[in-house]
Amino acid sequence: MLARVADNLFWMGRYIERSEHIARYLSVNYFSSLDAPNDLSQSRPFVLRSMLFMVGEPQADKSMDIIEEEVLFNIGLNPESAYSILNNVKNARENANSARDLISTGLYESINKFYHFIINYDPAVLVKNGLHDFTTNVTEMTAVLRGKIRGTLLHNEAYAIIMMGVNIERATQIIRMINAKYRDALEAQGSYGDKFSNSFEWTTLLKCAESYDMMRRLYKKPPNSISTLEFLILNPNCPRSIMNSLNQVYKHIRDLDTSKHYNKNATAFLVGKVRSEYEYKHIEEIEGDIQNFIEDILSRLVQISTKMEKEYFNY
Amino acid sequence: MSLKYSIVYSAENHYDTWIADAHWQFLIIPEENDTQTHIKIDFKNSVHAINEDSVNGYGFKTIRVQPREKFKDISFEANFSLVKKKVNPFDFIDELSREQAYKIVQELEFKVDFEPFLRTTHFTAIPSSHGKIFSFNGSKSIFENLQDLNQWVFNHLYYTTNATDVNTTLTEIISNRRGVCQDFAHLFCALAKQNEIPARYVSGYLHQGNGYFGDSQMHAWSEAYVPGIGWLGFDPTNNLIANDNHIKVSHGKDYNDCSPLKGVVYASGKNKTKHSVQVVAQQQQQ
Amino acid sequence: MTKIKNQIFSSYQRNPSLYDEIYDNDGNVKDVYKKLFDLYGEHSIDDYASLNVKARSSFFNQGITFQVYSKKKSQEKIFPFDLFPRIIDPKEWEFIERGAIQRSKALNLFLWDIYHEKKIIKQGLVPMELISSSGNYLHQMMGVDPPGDIYNHISGIDIIKHNDGNYYVLEDNIRCPSEVSYVICNRTALKRALFGVFNHYQTHTVTDYAENLLELLETTKPHGVDIPVCVVITPGMYNSAYYEHSYLAKTMGVELVEGRDLFVENDFVYMKTIRGPQKVDIIYRRIDDLFIDPLEFRPDSSLGVPGLFAAYKKGNVTIANAPGTGVADDKAVYTYMPEIIKYYLNEEPILNNVHTYHCSRPDELKYVLDNIHQLVIKPVDEAGGYGISIGNRLTKEEIEEVKKQVKSDPRRYVAQPIMSLSVHPTYIAKKESFEQRHVDLRVFTVLGKEKEFVLKGGLTRVALKKGNLIVNSSQGGGSKDTWVLKK
Repeated sequence: MLARVADNLFWMGRYIERSEHIARYLSVNYFSSLDAPNDLSQSRPFVLRSMLFMVGEPQADKSMDIIEEEVLFNIGLNPESAYSILNNVKNARENANSARDLISTGLYESINKFYHFIINYDPAVLVKNGLHDFTTNVTEMTAVLRGKIRGTLLHNEAYAIIMMGVNIERATQIIRMINAKYRDALEAQGSYGDKFSNSFEWTTLLKCAESYDMMRRLYKKPPNSISTLEFLILNPNCPRSIMNSLNQVYKHIRDLDTSKHYNKNATAFLVGKVRSEYEYKHIEEIEGDIQNFIEDILSRLVQISTKMEKEYFNY
Repeated sequence: MSLKYSIVYSAENHYDTWIADAHWQFLIIPEENDTQTHIKIDFKNSVHAINEDSVNGYGFKTIRVQPREKFKDISFEANFSLVKKKVNPFDFIDELSREQAYKIVQELEFKVDFEPFLRTTHFTAIPSSHGKIFSFNGSKSIFENLQDLNQWVFNHLYYTTNATDVNTTLTEIISNRRGVCQDFAHLFCALAKQNEIPARYVSGYLHQGNGYFGDSQMHAWSEAYVPGIGWLGFDPTNNLIANDNHIKVSHGKDYNDCSPLKGVVYASGKNKTKHSVQVVAQQQQQ
Repeated sequence: MTKIKNQIFSSYQRNPSLYDEIYDNDGNVKDVYKKLFDLYGEHSIDDYASLNVKARSSFFNQGITFQVYSKKKSQEKIFPFDLFPRIIDPKEWEFIERGAIQRSKALNLFLWDIYHEKKIIKQGLVPMELISSSGNYLHQMMGVDPPGDIYNHISGIDIIKHNDGNYYVLEDNIRCPSEVSYVICNRTALKRALFGVFNHYQTHTVTDYAENLLELLETTKPHGVDIPVCVVITPGMYNSAYYEHSYLAKTMGVELVEGRDLFVENDFVYMKTIRGPQKVDIIYRRIDDLFIDPLEFRPDSSLGVPGLFAAYKKGNVTIANAPGTGVADDKAVYTYMPEIIKYYLNEEPILNNVHTYHCSRPDELKYVLDNIHQLVIKPVDEAGGYGISIGNRLTKEEIEEVKKQVKSDPRRYVAQPIMSLSVHPTYIAKKESFEQRHVDLRVFTVLGKEKEFVLKGGLTRVALKKGNLIVNSSQGGGSKDTWVLKK
């Protein structure tokens, strides 16, 4: 496979995954806030700021006015903002386009439909009453794409590379959500016991990661900071956890790099190392220093991505 | 009798930004022919990239360099030594009569065979407004006419550096009457072709020991084809028949086919370039 | 006998002066079309309109589109596709196929000759200007023997049927002939929309183009290569034919590369893969000659591969079509095709050439100037239907303007009698009815070493504007699925 095309496939996977998480973050936060148990969690500016923080556009100055329509447009459909869902889908399609001979007709057709759905979506509708419709469509279409990736491509190198992109991005987005919600929880504390630990924001976080139901089934208790973080970071059976993503990345890099003798400069070596570290981490180690942990895992993910670029996409 | 020459060609490039993707092609190796024999070819670049030997589209030897590592400065140095046979440029046998030669030039087969060197090119196009600038005298032989043309070009243009550049066309040169060897050679070729004599542009080195014009860069002159004799070299810059001071590298329809250095460099910033050529006649041999 | 009520053709107007592909002179539906005519007749025009909309959206969703750039944003458009197919019976096709092969082979021999001994010119059969005034003649190709001795691996020959019922060739496209993917897309779309009709006809498949193309390209592999690696090179995803490039690469099962994916080392070509360099032996290029190698041709080309031509000259890589092939694509060469076929193959041309007047010849120039109103004037060096003037469509002022242009540079122009392209029922969405529209046929041939292939189907292009004779997609043309019957 061409190095350039591998690069395109990797990023196609990342952009598809990214658009899903942003869409869900928008919708869950917006709709959870409507009947949230405390005033701050219900406050619209609080929610909008959280959205902006998550997409990497934090608003430091809290005294500034924040306009709902603007935020929703900027994150959803603004062609001028690099982080918008529209641009993510556009980038996914551009990357698919230049690897068009390698992916299935079915997958390309779905990406193409997705793109046309997005660019033809009326921004006026989105900001007025279309948020639910828009985000539901985005998350459904990304699910279709995931199905097509799995079901219509030969599980070979190309597949491994797309899946690496998907999983590295998933881990990254989950961490970004944890980061945003951790900050929100510090501000919007609960009303009893350990107020931070019992913040309503942990429930929202689980819903953003589409993991609330799974978590309730496993823990059978309302989520608090520790159980939420343990589930989203360390539980290998939660399909959206960091651990699961790292396991997936490891599995796919092993499909690419089948050498028995590890080269300490190989991407596979780095992925294996990071994965084992997290496999034997305990939630108490993380809980004491969440902020450092978030920064550490983000930088590890960037390292993996950069290493892949050097080893496989250098052209 | 023959001469031994050593030639040093060097080029230096400086870029303001890092260059990650660059390709160069040098067309600077002396041609091997009846009068030129190689002794040594040595080529170096400062970034330790591989020097690849190849040929260009017209069959002349080239050296290609494509660095794998990024750089800001790169320099190249070529050292050639060769033996050049001393020849008397007037020492040929003209097998055909004047009339026969003029007749052959008119034949279709001749025109087809020499089509590349009879066609007008970007650098050898004379604007139609000028009409026929130099007409051959039918009572003289083709060779004599070409000698006259050589003299005419020499007299018509003043050798002036910096008045023209590699992109200047004849329209400007004819009216400004200034130029360097490239411009002299193009004008000679254009006028020979206008008179239906095949002519080609020659790129090479000039040994300047005898005070000829040619600066410290590569030199350019022309070759014209005379039926019954063959290709003959004319150096209109110096009003000479090409001789053992002329070391040929390549020929072509015009400068475009002979450009000594072609580069494809993906750079965003500015760059500075320096070239120099040194030709030394080392010894005379018996 | 009760006639089947045929609603959808009820408003079809037949102009008796035009050659209609589905009706004979007496107004009866021709045999090969009878079944189809009846089957389509069972539908109402509303059914038809909705099928048409579905077919269009299928093209759109598959991304079989081209970009139209306007001030603010670029728009994607599909090539209009007509659901009523054109049918060619086996006998007629056999004739077309033989004629197409004959022309492709003659052009290949012509190219060999003009890049070697140039006998045909020396013998005075064609003028020297075919090479000396052509910007597409590459002197770098003189004396080069292309692998397998093939120059024009891929050709697209444009054929029309005149109102005398005979086929005429309008153009031989051998520079970078395109649009073959539409043949396959059209078939797929028609099968999706109206699969039932295929049960009643035995039609040759068109999906075998890519496999034949690859097989024949491989016969022209460079010397000493055992199992060749083939790639398709594209200018990139913003090229209007990018869909076709990716389609061909995908169906051939080879990599689709851009110039930046390839490099040359020691005169061999490699592509940059995730496992390091891999040698490339055959390049099906969709980049024009002057852009393939910035060190040899246009230095400002970022589409090509530095050093590629040197690798080619050494015989280390096959380029299809060979560099320099475009010279035989010039309209001036077309006009000598009968001579070219006779000279190299010692055969009579199977397909007719349209008689051509050369404005470079004084007597013919005079005829042209006197008869512009019944001639088509074409510049010899433009492609895509640009610069063409059709005499009987011009106003007096326009005629004078064309005369002036021709007189100022007669060599640039040729003239031909106005050919009346045959017409075919075509669904016109705006009017919700079938109407006569002019059509041509592009036939795709592939030459390999001692082997050749003609795609049994071709692309029927249709001029969607009423009365328009120019079918090129760049000039608002559409296309039809074309069925070649087995028996």
